[in-house]
Amino acid sequence: MTYMHIGKDFTPPDVEGKVTGAARYAEDFKKDGMVFARLLGSPIPAGRVVSIDASAALAIPGVLGIFTADDLPPAPPPSNPALAKEWVTYIGQPILAVAAESDHLAEEALSKIVVEYQRRPFVVDPLDTLTEGGPDPYPNGNTLIRNAGEAAAGTTASGTDVGRVKWSIDQVAAFRAGREPVGAQFGDEWSYGDVAARFAECSTVIEEPFVTIGQPHHSLESRTGMAYWENGKCYFHGSLQSHTVGHDALSAMLEIDPANLVFINENTGGGFGSKIFPYPMMAVTGRFARKLNRPVQLRITRAEEFYIGSARSGMQGWIKIGLKDDGRVGAVDVAIVNDAGSGGGGSASSSAEHISIMFQPEAMRFRGLAMYTNTTPRGAQRGPGQNEMAAVLAPMIDKAANLAGVDRVAMRRLNAPRMDGKIGARQGGISSSYMPEAIDKAAQMFNWDQKRSLPREISATKVRGIGVGQGFHTAGSNGYDGLIRIAPDGTIYLHTGVGNLGTYSYAGVVRAAAEALQCDWDNCVVVHGHGDLNLPHSTYQGGSNTMFTETRSSHVAALDVIQKLKEIAAAEFGGAADDYSIGGERVFRTSDSSKGMSYGEAAQKAIAMGGKYSGMEYPDDIHRTTVRSVQAMQGTGLIGVAKDTLPRSGAVPGMAIAFCEIELDKETGKFDIVDYTAVAECGTVVHPKGLRQAMNGGGIWGFGMAGFERHVYDPQNGLPANVGLYQSKPPTYLDVPVHMNTAGNDMPDPQSPVGARGIGEPAQGCAVAALMSAIADALDGHLFNRTPVTADMIINHVAQNGFNTGNLKTNTF
Amino acid sequence: MSSHDNMPEMSLYQPVQVEDAIGIATELAGRGWLVGGGQDTYGWLKDRAKTADALIDLKGIESMRGIKETADGIEIGALVTLTEITRDPIIKERYSLLAQAAGRVASPQIRNVGTLAGNVSQDVRCWYYRRGLNCYRAGGNLCYADTPEGMNREHAIFNASRCVAVTPSDTGPALVALEAQMVIQNASGQRVVPAEDFFIGPNLDIRHTTILRPGDILTAVRIPAKWANATFYFEKVADRNAWDFALVSISAAMRVNNGVIEDSRIMVGAVQATPRRLTSVEQAIRGKPRNESTANSLGNLASSDANPLNYNHFKMPLMDNLVKRAVRGQA
Amino acid sequence: MDVAPQETLAHTLRYKLGLTGTKLGCNRGECGACTVLADDVNIYACSTLTHEVKNRAVVTVEGLRAADGTLHPVQAAFIEELSPACGFCTAGQVMSAVALLKANPRPTREEARLAMSGNVCRCGAYDHYLNGVMRASGQLS
Repeated sequence: MTYMHIGKDFTPPDVEGKVTGAARYAEDFKKDGMVFARLLGSPIPAGRVVSIDASAALAIPGVLGIFTADDLPPAPPPSNPALAKEWVTYIGQPILAVAAESDHLAEEALSKIVVEYQRRPFVVDPLDTLTEGGPDPYPNGNTLIRNAGEAAAGTTASGTDVGRVKWSIDQVAAFRAGREPVGAQFGDEWSYGDVAARFAECSTVIEEPFVTIGQPHHSLESRTGMAYWENGKCYFHGSLQSHTVGHDALSAMLEIDPANLVFINENTGGGFGSKIFPYPMMAVTGRFARKLNRPVQLRITRAEEFYIGSARSGMQGWIKIGLKDDGRVGAVDVAIVNDAGSGGGGSASSSAEHISIMFQPEAMRFRGLAMYTNTTPRGAQRGPGQNEMAAVLAPMIDKAANLAGVDRVAMRRLNAPRMDGKIGARQGGISSSYMPEAIDKAAQMFNWDQKRSLPREISATKVRGIGVGQGFHTAGSNGYDGLIRIAPDGTIYLHTGVGNLGTYSYAGVVRAAAEALQCDWDNCVVVHGHGDLNLPHSTYQGGSNTMFTETRSSHVAALDVIQKLKEIAAAEFGGAADDYSIGGERVFRTSDSSKGMSYGEAAQKAIAMGGKYSGMEYPDDIHRTTVRSVQAMQGTGLIGVAKDTLPRSGAVPGMAIAFCEIELDKETGKFDIVDYTAVAECGTVVHPKGLRQAMNGGGIWGFGMAGFERHVYDPQNGLPANVGLYQSKPPTYLDVPVHMNTAGNDMPDPQSPVGARGIGEPAQGCAVAALMSAIADALDGHLFNRTPVTADMIINHVAQNGFNTGNLKTNTF
Repeated sequence: MSSHDNMPEMSLYQPVQVEDAIGIATELAGRGWLVGGGQDTYGWLKDRAKTADALIDLKGIESMRGIKETADGIEIGALVTLTEITRDPIIKERYSLLAQAAGRVASPQIRNVGTLAGNVSQDVRCWYYRRGLNCYRAGGNLCYADTPEGMNREHAIFNASRCVAVTPSDTGPALVALEAQMVIQNASGQRVVPAEDFFIGPNLDIRHTTILRPGDILTAVRIPAKWANATFYFEKVADRNAWDFALVSISAAMRVNNGVIEDSRIMVGAVQATPRRLTSVEQAIRGKPRNESTANSLGNLASSDANPLNYNHFKMPLMDNLVKRAVRGQA
Repeated sequence: MDVAPQETLAHTLRYKLGLTGTKLGCNRGECGACTVLADDVNIYACSTLTHEVKNRAVVTVEGLRAADGTLHPVQAAFIEELSPACGFCTAGQVMSAVALLKANPRPTREEARLAMSGNVCRCGAYDHYLNGVMRASGQLS
């Protein structure tokens, strides 16, 4: 299909501001009378606040007040409270905020506040609390229970409770040793097919333990916010990945009518899953500003960003994989214990889902358990569950394929989902999959057939490893609103409530509207990022969701505009709407193009005609956020607004395949990635440069997870070792390939009007899997059964000194 | 657990004469803090893990700048930045070991302001200590890292004495290998100390990593001609190739004649609180050909008397491997 | 302007001069978001006292445009290559690239990545920034 805009590079309107410094992030805003707030965090990993004495701090001239848990609605566990009191559950957990006329005074005040704590036992290893007799991270238990409950006021965690589950010492010991914990209790289970019967048909069966470390997100912009109140309205400069979808939740956290919140967030300095929805600290910023009746900037330091910025859930598990003679996956049995930190959930079921779709096992069982620990709260991070599973699974799949005598890539292609692919517990369908074609394309780009026969030995100390891996994440939903206004001067305002998380998807998705309207991009204005700009209700942005979901809502809004253009033209020139066409930013009679008018003229007519044409009336199925926006624009042009009710069925899969070639030095444990090649199976490519950006960035995240990033807690005192960036080790320029080779498969998904699916998360999953696969390949198939694999582990393995075996637990080196 | 981003209030002195700086430092005694590039200063102060009343910014002292040739080698001003060292033609030509080591420190921006004096004087990176815990080195009476459960992957495998932190300096081992002399001035005058004696372990003084005391200023580093144009080998292994401190580093200077190692100085970084000299290796390779066979003959000589902790056994094979690479002359 | 003795350059720029293009990512010299030039050399503004550079020419991202408003070649190239992702590290990346090209107008890609290695991009847009450096130095068209 030939498009005007889809598949073409363009310059998103916010890029220039980023290179000139003009782009403003939450912390860059100032307001007259603004005061500075700072947090005081808990020095103990578990306990309660007995008393707070802030008198000395408040006596300092210029110190304006403190804000504590008593200023917020109670938030019983496991809801992650903005400020803790009765349930202190991790070191660094915010206890209070203090505000002062200057940031310097606010920090000085911190040291003058005396908090008395009562300690409780604590635990940092999920298996330690799972063991009978082991300490519980909360007074009332250690595990996440799903219920139907509402979120505590002012928090966003709903439907959860704290329960208690314990395994016998023998069960935990078996699990730690990589054996099935027979008879152990799990919190979440599903299966399909006859697992035992399918295993019986398999000629290759492997059983392996695995551990993954949960990395902190460490978005480069810490979650600073600034809020002020004017005439009963709260103006909030924040840092979220999503925009309008968070509006109601933030209003609820501030306990105000959504109409009285103006959320401003034109730029976001990274989120990676940690800023999808409003987070607890935003309640403090907004409410403290109300309490003081002053604009408040609550700055979060880098260390605090570690503490409250959430992290990936660590995962510890056991898996059994069966392959048939031909390499088909017959059955998989997997059990996972997640480290849910002091709050949040596990993502074990998503981990299992990765296996189910990528390898289409004929039968499968999953059992999962989310254990709390007294470590930093966990949350979504770029493909939660799927990507860490991709990481540890890839070398195991390689092992099984090698044992079965099947080429590693051929085996993946054989098992890859096709159009009739199934996913997860219910074995539901998918919108489309051209994964075999993507694998072929990437294998050819990488030259797999030639590379797999290259000698492994490069020199006396250097060995080559080549690897392959896949990533998956659900990549789309539906039901959100699109909103477009054509002004009387002909300018086309494409409104989107999509956040600007750095992927440029906010601009990419509205290109679908420009496409349908067949209009010049230079005549379009992307309207986004500010609550006063009349934005529609748009999807939440867990990266991969945006492209599919929001090209649909942009498209339906454009269809609404087109229908109205035709009706306006028919009213002017006679005949029926169907007699008219659009082109060249005009609507005209199909049989006589001289009978027509420009978009601008149609907008003038729309204002005169009123009703639905100028937004005086609007569909009754659109979200109240969209309603408010339409109402605010009534009579200002031709308004196109619609909810996406296009047909949709099955899961929308975002997928990717990657290949990696490394040169590994056996004497130093270091490796260089000399070739990284990846192909996204994400439908039609909407924005080629944006896609490369997503794939390359995801690749870097994959290398970080595979080889560098860590989450280390001292079990003696509950202290985290990696609050700073240099301790957390995000990859630098010098740890990644000097060139990256990524592309899209570019095969349209039938359920998107422009064929697009998203790709944010799989871009990491395929990379971490391919690198893990390459490391194992370089070391004659040795499995570390964990991420990350750091230089010390490779050195220990090569030295055969036996010092890696103790590492199969999370929250450690 | 409060987390700060602002520098604490303190005064700032910016003397332009070294004598004035010494006067101020002497008067302030333990409450003054010398600043060269400041790259190991501001973090401590922002974190409130260490405090001082005043900063003494030495950068205005011209006499502590520049690299000059002397009768016996070169003298490097204490304020010479690591970037300047990597670019200096004389150092690159005759003492490339030091240029290589300086070039692997931290990041370009840190090398652009970080000084040679600062790199050798920086404090240890033990994460417990940096966190402000009251450990032995901080004046307390316990060590958090040297325990069965301590997170001690980056810690010492030799010569622990209550404290198990290691030297983080990349240039320190190179300077000891080159038999550098450290020029120190204080109110009573100037003294010149071999680099080998400049660094001190916790057995001698658990609160300090060097012999510098309040009132002392390291003004210059002299590198004798002895090892000029020798055969050098430097390698640093770190997790990430930017920013990170060495897991283990090696700095070797060798006199090789007709393929035979006549003399050598082999130093290893990040395995103990000071640069570790491998005299047993130096002896073992003296008079031997510089080749794979000599390298392999060393086996685990370098690490044989190590005392690893729970998470740092890997430093033993790693240092053995780096020694082999230095001796055979290639990675 | 009143600058406290212990005040960092990043603080002065952002809070006293309103030059918010210079970002604070970590405030500990571990990320590079605050990179500025002092006499054409790239440094971390979070780890420099304002008084330390009082006699030096400090340039921030806001000061790169030509007098007629034309973008600096590095800025133009970064737009062309879609180098920024979230953009929070971008000002620092721009300043390191500018410092590099002043010292070495036609760097190899390997030299470029060494010179840029004091700037973390958490989004992982390294390939795109390197393309931007190569384009700005006229080696990519």
